Amino acid sequence: MSGEAARDHEARVAGARVLGDGTALLAVECGAVADSATPGQFVMVRAGSCGDPFLGRPLAVAEASGGIFKLAFRVVGRGTELLAAKRQGDTLTVRGPLGRGFFDRAGDTPARVFLAGGGVGAVPLVFAARRLGFARIAGATAGISGAGWEGFADWLKEAMPKVDLHSDDGSVGKAGTALDGLPRSLPPGAEIWACGPVGMLRALAARFPNDGDRIRVSLESRMACGVGGCLGCAVPTASGNRRACTDGPVFAAGEVLWDELED
Amino acid sequence: MSSKTDLSIEVGGLKLASPVIIASGVWPQDAEFWSPGRLEGVGALCTKAVGLKPRAGNKGPRVHETPCGVLNSVGLQNTGMASFVKNYLPVARCAGRPFLVNLIMESEREVRESLAALRDVPDVPAVELNISCPNVEDDNMEWGLRPEGTALAVRIARSEWGGPLWVKLTPQSPYLAAAAKAAEDEGADAVVCGNTWLGMAMDIERRRPVFQRIVAGLSGPAVFPLALRTVWQVSGAVSIPVIGCGGVSCWRDAAAMLMAGASAVEVGAALFTDLELPRKIADGLSAWMAEQNIDGVSGLVGLGRR
Repeated sequence: MSGEAARDHEARVAGARVLGDGTALLAVECGAVADSATPGQFVMVRAGSCGDPFLGRPLAVAEASGGIFKLAFRVVGRGTELLAAKRQGDTLTVRGPLGRGFFDRAGDTPARVFLAGGGVGAVPLVFAARRLGFARIAGATAGISGAGWEGFADWLKEAMPKVDLHSDDGSVGKAGTALDGLPRSLPPGAEIWACGPVGMLRALAARFPNDGDRIRVSLESRMACGVGGCLGCAVPTASGNRRACTDGPVFAAGEVLWDELED
Repeated sequence: MSSKTDLSIEVGGLKLASPVIIASGVWPQDAEFWSPGRLEGVGALCTKAVGLKPRAGNKGPRVHETPCGVLNSVGLQNTGMASFVKNYLPVARCAGRPFLVNLIMESEREVRESLAALRDVPDVPAVELNISCPNVEDDNMEWGLRPEGTALAVRIARSEWGGPLWVKLTPQSPYLAAAAKAAEDEGADAVVCGNTWLGMAMDIERRRPVFQRIVAGLSGPAVFPLALRTVWQVSGAVSIPVIGCGGVSCWRDAAAMLMAGASAVEVGAALFTDLELPRKIADGLSAWMAEQNIDGVSGLVGLGRR
């Protein structure tokens, strides 16, 4: 999965859109990534070839088809600022597709899946929803902070029409968090697939303490190489340190040692 | 290819097809990355650091980007020598080129046991003795800070290991040239200049250092001029080969290191941004040397000192 596909590519921006205050959408022409990426996988993206910013930014794939893949991300610093400033025809450096996604776990895909995304953590779930198909989605819930995220919320509703939106300040969708859109107990045969900040995923795992192997979480992590070399993205698990970039980013909630994981 | 120069060179007991070596700690241990198809332009590889017993490595954030560089506090995470011999060596043997086992200098007893384990298995081409990691509590770097410590470490390793022995020095040593000379006097076949540079980062939002150990090792293009200076100094002090390591990220950097006296270079952090960098460096060097009528790598080594 990870090794064979982990190559660096020069890619062209096919489209760019600012979604609103601090979030952006990029469509990137790169067959090598678009043709093989699966939901939950990510790419390391660099805006240019100079040494600063030095590292790629790990961003989840939002969609992939016809030789083009999409990224939706939050602008949090200079690296993502430079990416958000890209326009059609500009070039990028892309490493990927990387990691083990939602569908890469042993065993069958469950019959019913609840999707839960926090902030831009909803992005890989958009991709997962497309691959799962309508019939297997038991529910989709997302949480954002609120004011300033309207553009992202609109994109999300367009990409995942049935999503149950929540915001911390109540300005978009219902007041509350993504977890408020989940059932009280997990029906037999169903799973939860989630992505978002560590705090949200920790709360999710705590809410379903007996269902750890039926919850797949995609973890965000600081990373340097993205291919399993540097061990910069160690995730403490019951079986020792695992790599977020190649053993993950998708893990079973039950294997992660949540108290040891940095926020 | 006719305009290209042969890049082979013999360095510290190893025959390399190219003077570009993958530094310890950056290359995945997964088999796919050790297949010859992945290693174009690579003369040799250093394994991730290994010690006698498993180490979990450091908790909390382990990497932090800096201008033109990256700080790391990984802390020598490894699964121990027994697992290394069983799981990693078979992978390393598939690379089709020499590799160096980056061995953590621990206590005398541990290092003797580790080297005995490596002696007991076939086809271990060389050892790179790591006396310079800035990211652990048990004073690995202490061995490298002073010439006396370096001498003792090399003496212990040399008495257990008859094959090629390289010593990875620490740029934190105020006596770097003397430490390199001490390594030479105790029988090292080459010295590597050097490990990462001690730095730190502050998380101003959380009002505390980024790393739990506070300090971390800096690498990347930001340290290249510093590393080049150490190569120059050390090359003037020893007669064994010097390997340049620190911030090399293009063929020009490699050429500069060689001209300063290095016989080969190690590339590390720059692989985070380009997995094919070794091939690009080898191609660039080769084409440039042909243009400059420089016959082989040895003709470039120390050229800037004459």
